[in-house]
Amino acid sequence: MEINAPVPKLLLQLISSAFQRCRLAEDLCRLSVLLDLSTDNDPPITPISIADTGIGCNLEEFQDLMCPRQFNGANIWDGLLSVKTTCFSDDEVYYYRVNLDENISNRRVKRQASQAKNGAKFSGTEVSLSVFGSMDVLVAPIIGFFQKVFFLFRILNVTMDLVVKQGTSPGTQTQYVFVVNTEKNPCFTASNLERLKFGLEDYVLRHGNCLDMICDYCFSDREHLKVGSGTACSEENRKRTGGTIDVVIVISDLLETTRHCSRSCDGKTEVLYFDNFSPCPIPQFALSALKKIDWKSYGLVLASVNDQDGHVFLEWENFPSYVQIQITLHWYHNQYPTRQKTQPGINLVKKGIKNALDDLKAKHEGFLLSSHARKICSHVPDLARSIAGLIFSSTDMDFQGDCLSVLGFQAQEVERVAVEDYIQRKIVTVIGMNERKPQKDEESAPFLFFEGESETSYFEDEEIEGEYYSTSLE
Amino acid sequence: MVESSGLSSMKFFSDQYLSYADILPPREARARIEVSVLNLLRILNSPDPAISDLSLINRKRSNSCINQGILTDVSYVFLSTSFTKSSLTNAKTAKAFVRVWKVMEICFQILLQEKRVTQRELFYKLLCDSPEYFSSQIEVNRSVQDVVALLRCSRYSLGIMASSRGLVAGRLFLQEPDKEAVDCLACGSSGFAISGDLNLLDNTIMRSDARYIIIVEKHAIFHRLVEDRVFNHIPCVFITAKGYPDIATRFFLHRMSTTFPDLPILALVDWNPAGLAILCTFKFGSIRMGLEAYRYACNVKWIGLRGDDLNLIPEESLVPQKPKDSQIAKSLMSSKTLQENYREELSLMIETGKRAEIEALYCHGYDYLGKYIATKIVQGKYI
Repeated sequence: MEINAPVPKLLLQLISSAFQRCRLAEDLCRLSVLLDLSTDNDPPITPISIADTGIGCNLEEFQDLMCPRQFNGANIWDGLLSVKTTCFSDDEVYYYRVNLDENISNRRVKRQASQAKNGAKFSGTEVSLSVFGSMDVLVAPIIGFFQKVFFLFRILNVTMDLVVKQGTSPGTQTQYVFVVNTEKNPCFTASNLERLKFGLEDYVLRHGNCLDMICDYCFSDREHLKVGSGTACSEENRKRTGGTIDVVIVISDLLETTRHCSRSCDGKTEVLYFDNFSPCPIPQFALSALKKIDWKSYGLVLASVNDQDGHVFLEWENFPSYVQIQITLHWYHNQYPTRQKTQPGINLVKKGIKNALDDLKAKHEGFLLSSHARKICSHVPDLARSIAGLIFSSTDMDFQGDCLSVLGFQAQEVERVAVEDYIQRKIVTVIGMNERKPQKDEESAPFLFFEGESETSYFEDEEIEGEYYSTSLE
Repeated sequence: MVESSGLSSMKFFSDQYLSYADILPPREARARIEVSVLNLLRILNSPDPAISDLSLINRKRSNSCINQGILTDVSYVFLSTSFTKSSLTNAKTAKAFVRVWKVMEICFQILLQEKRVTQRELFYKLLCDSPEYFSSQIEVNRSVQDVVALLRCSRYSLGIMASSRGLVAGRLFLQEPDKEAVDCLACGSSGFAISGDLNLLDNTIMRSDARYIIIVEKHAIFHRLVEDRVFNHIPCVFITAKGYPDIATRFFLHRMSTTFPDLPILALVDWNPAGLAILCTFKFGSIRMGLEAYRYACNVKWIGLRGDDLNLIPEESLVPQKPKDSQIAKSLMSSKTLQENYREELSLMIETGKRAEIEALYCHGYDYLGKYIATKIVQGKYI
């Protein structure tokens, strides 16, 4: 069953809400999903419950819930949810019965008898429902969801687990746990963007979180990833709630041994999209935004955008081998719950992507240069070689010393190759920096020797004249 | 900066803007290269880093001026202060930019070794070292001129010796330092080869009893005149650059003119725009090497072939001009520096669209040439 099928979709909505609640709790939380496949009823029924230790549930979210009832002509759900929830400061645990079949909205939620907490301080929610049919097919999508979201929020304060009960005895329980690794986390106050970044790095290094450790075939270590992040916000106004789009781009240089790895993705770029902390297929406007980016100014030529059932892959022309790009977009509202879900416009998404690309370019010199700049950079090694040659062929030790100290080297232990490399890198950095300056701000570079006076023109290739016939006055 | 005294006394307002290349000893030329390197590195590694642009004196007509010698008879073409910018970040000039540094690197090494190389040798060295940047001699020569324009020092100061094509024969004694005097009367019909080493030429002692210096455009004519020992009938020195004059030959001519200031310098060229162009180069200098060439301008007079000699040659010797001739004619015509009488001659060439070679005079006999020259001198028919 795909992620678009009704039951997984419903579940994922409930799980996302649980996420939101955990996120807002700003404390270590746990989210558990229990699938009970052991009941013997005929026709089969699968009880499912989703429990979290986040902030208390706001019942409004159930108003908007999409409730699929049928799949391929068969009834799958009666529209009933049992909800237990409590906030930290509440004295009781509140029980509710939600009937999504009820058309009259104020009769949907019925309050039931509460349970006293007896002074205990905790918060959380448990949502239970039963679906018709044997839902072992639900396991895979839920795990897939967890994997995706886990990377998003591994730095978040949530531990997730899925328990699948196959039978009544404890031995027949299978538990999949996704634990937060507290050692490597940035602190709780890290922004969503930071977390997204961290998560995408993990996702990339572990091939979509399928592995426990970084793939040795493909990657050397985390530090060699080139990561750029960007964000764009839309303001809240009467018509819509405010929201933010975070974009993270990771570029990895693969090791040569990646050939042996079965999971590498052939130079294609996977684009992941998250809507309010929940993975979802890329919406059309985001696809349009991707197509509208001026990739050429970053030295990339977009060949095609392939959308396979919600999985989007970008393909590039003349893409270097052993390089991989991964992009993730995350759109979320700034408040929970959101009454009115809005979508970001194409321009906002474009802005976020562009910010991420610019960030990447700024942090890594010589990277994502336009083809014009790359052509110029092709001359840089020769130039650096000549300049280093000039420095090191001099017999004037004062001159050599001056040059080396300007570059920041100690005269005694320096090697020519090191100096040449340094000069090369510096020049490439300047070329990259010049690319990012807006055109109108461009000032002329300082002159090398004598000051150019008025009437400075750009050097143009003169007609080649034969030496014999060059006229004197030409 | 050392200028010959003849020019320095006549400094008018316009001369304030003259751009020149210094003649420097090797140590100072190296120092200028070192300063360029340091400046580049300082700006590259500064808090606001950039790649310096090279400002090169513009070697185009638009930046050229003529200094009309008023109290001296020598006019010359010089370059003023407009610059062109060669920048690494501009795709059009990026390669030229790198070429300048490559040439500077080689020159630096040459100067360190206290050698001199010819432009040809330089081309092969650069071709080995950086074939992607230097594919022809012309590119090398142009890059060398860029370095001259950047550092404002003469080509010779960079250790580059242009090979000389010049020959001299006639009533002249030359004594190079530490050598025996050479009698240019006894050099055989090929004359004495002028060295490309400007330093050497500068230190050569000259003695002469000639009354005229005659520039001959073509080698064949030079050869004929020397073989017929025309300098015994007309007391003169013949000099040729075998075509377009190289800097060494011009230097030599200039030295002669300052050593023997009373000798008129007469030019014998084919009747076509190219011939006139060659004469003008000896006379005014060139734009392409405008930072240096102005020093060697001489007061050259045009003795032949000229428009009024056309009645001396048969109709059949007037042949159509080559395409290159009309190009040269156009550019000569449009230059502000051409004097009126030359302009008239040029107009006649353009109108008829024809040209004539000096050899056309042979229709009157192989010894006619000497008589022709003598007649013209006696009649004072040179402009």
